[in-house]
Amino acid sequence: MNDAERPITQQKSQLVYWIFQLTGWGMITLTRFVAGVTVLDLAWPRLLLELLLVNTLGLALSHWLRDFVRRNGWRALPIRKLSWRILVASFVCGAPIGIVTQLTYLSALHDPELFLREYAPALQFQFALPFAFALEIVNWAFIFIVWLTIYFTAVALREHRSAQFKQSELTRALQLAELRLLKSQLNPHFLFNALNTVRSLIADNPARAQNAVTRLANTLRYSLTSRQDELVTLSQELDIVADYLELESMRFEDRLRIELHIPDDAAGVRIPVMLLQTLVENGIKHGIAELPSGGLLRISAVLQNEILILEVENPRPPARTRMSAHEGIGLHNARDRLRLLFPERASLELDLTKPAVATARLRIPVQK
Amino acid sequence: MKAMIIDDEPPARRELRRLLTGFPWVEVVGEAGNIDQAAEMVETLTPELLFLDIQMPGGSGFDLLTRLEDVPQVIFTTAYDEHAVRAFKVDALDYLLKPIEPARLAEALSRVRSAHAARVPPPNAVLEQIFVRDGSRCWFVPLREVRLLTSEGNYVRLSWGKANPLLGRALAALEQRLDPNRFFRANRRQIINLDFIESVELGVNGRLHAQLRDSPEVEISRRQARLFKTKMSI
Repeated sequence: MNDAERPITQQKSQLVYWIFQLTGWGMITLTRFVAGVTVLDLAWPRLLLELLLVNTLGLALSHWLRDFVRRNGWRALPIRKLSWRILVASFVCGAPIGIVTQLTYLSALHDPELFLREYAPALQFQFALPFAFALEIVNWAFIFIVWLTIYFTAVALREHRSAQFKQSELTRALQLAELRLLKSQLNPHFLFNALNTVRSLIADNPARAQNAVTRLANTLRYSLTSRQDELVTLSQELDIVADYLELESMRFEDRLRIELHIPDDAAGVRIPVMLLQTLVENGIKHGIAELPSGGLLRISAVLQNEILILEVENPRPPARTRMSAHEGIGLHNARDRLRLLFPERASLELDLTKPAVATARLRIPVQK
Repeated sequence: MKAMIIDDEPPARRELRRLLTGFPWVEVVGEAGNIDQAAEMVETLTPELLFLDIQMPGGSGFDLLTRLEDVPQVIFTTAYDEHAVRAFKVDALDYLLKPIEPARLAEALSRVRSAHAARVPPPNAVLEQIFVRDGSRCWFVPLREVRLLTSEGNYVRLSWGKANPLLGRALAALEQRLDPNRFFRANRRQIINLDFIESVELGVNGRLHAQLRDSPEVEISRRQARLFKTKMSI
């Protein structure tokens, strides 16, 4: 929640509070009024006046109670401690208003004499008056118990919702952080080797050295400035892959051969930034660099039923049989990134069915 | 001093060669781009110094060293695996980070030179130092510092300093390349370094018990005990 939202949420909850307050007390007033007029046949103007007086007092008391509860931090209390506090507070508030009620005409609503005759004939009549007060107090205490229960339930519900909201915010923030981590950073090993190549080229072939510096700058810029959730067109990504491969060719010389098959319709498809680059880097690291005589790195794309299939194929060293371990952190991260960016609809697999060749195959739905 | 450059990247090899022209006493006798080629060339060219890259196709620089019988002096060259070098408990080596700084190269070479000068050339075919990898740790082990060699099947346990690394060679094969003036076969399973003997006691049946510094007692079998007495003239 940011600061701009906060007052609005508070205003809204304040409004809800008053709607509930007025409705609640209005209902009590109304039922008592109807009961007084119809059942007990009381004079309605006086009854209405007294009801308004008493129930306004009730409303004022409950409002003060809310203030009191907030100031004393009852929201944070465990249920057990809260329960007996609710009980005491309800009686404390119920007492004065109960006495007031008994002193007004409303006492007729609870006829103690009638009650005594009905339910406790053994009780002495001189106890009737205190009993009537007690009854009124209990009656009001009960109303406050209900009021406080509703209040604390509402508070708990609201806090639960805001906790859920915060939780989902947190999840999103975590996902972004995760993406940031997963987005392949340029491999430092590559970086320092490239710099070493440049140093060598400065003496061997100054023009090539200049070219290498420019390509390195492009690759670095792309890697450093792209956002973790950014999508780019395949042709944009291929530009940087080409720069990268040019640098690797300078390092590996004739050990690295490259083939590209990209149809025109696939070139415009949007893919997560640095993802193809990661696959190519992986192919070089675990394929070409591991083989004394190097080999062919093939990048191909096909567009099929609105799905882009991208393949990076590289020779694999014969000794490598435990491919899951070989797959390495690069592919693993790329897969996690895909899962976060396109839940369920994209996939990345490492195909080792062909002899001596590893194919990383990426499927991405075409983004409208 | 004969040196070899082992690195899979041609530009890196050229760069190092160029840097080494500033040190005429270092003669680059060969270059290799992978460890198979390198292992072969080291055997035939017998360089005294290796410039060795760590990540290479077909196996790492460390793999090469474990393959070599006799390990020359080594300077690791690496673009980024500095931590890999430092993780190994090796003090007998140096490493250079690529791109190599000429001043750092000069420093490393002067260390190599002084170590080389201080060295007494050993008799022919005697091993000076070996490279041992045990689990994820590696050591350059100067053999004169090894107290005791114990056979464990096809392996040899070296008692050296505080470490007891396991070497992937058979004791019999290793014995032939050990300095006979320093190492003595005590029994079927053990070879001791005479420099480390603290005391020798007579045992039953003509056996001897040798107490080595920082090691458990070693029994010298009856047959070997006679040889031992002759050798030590007791």
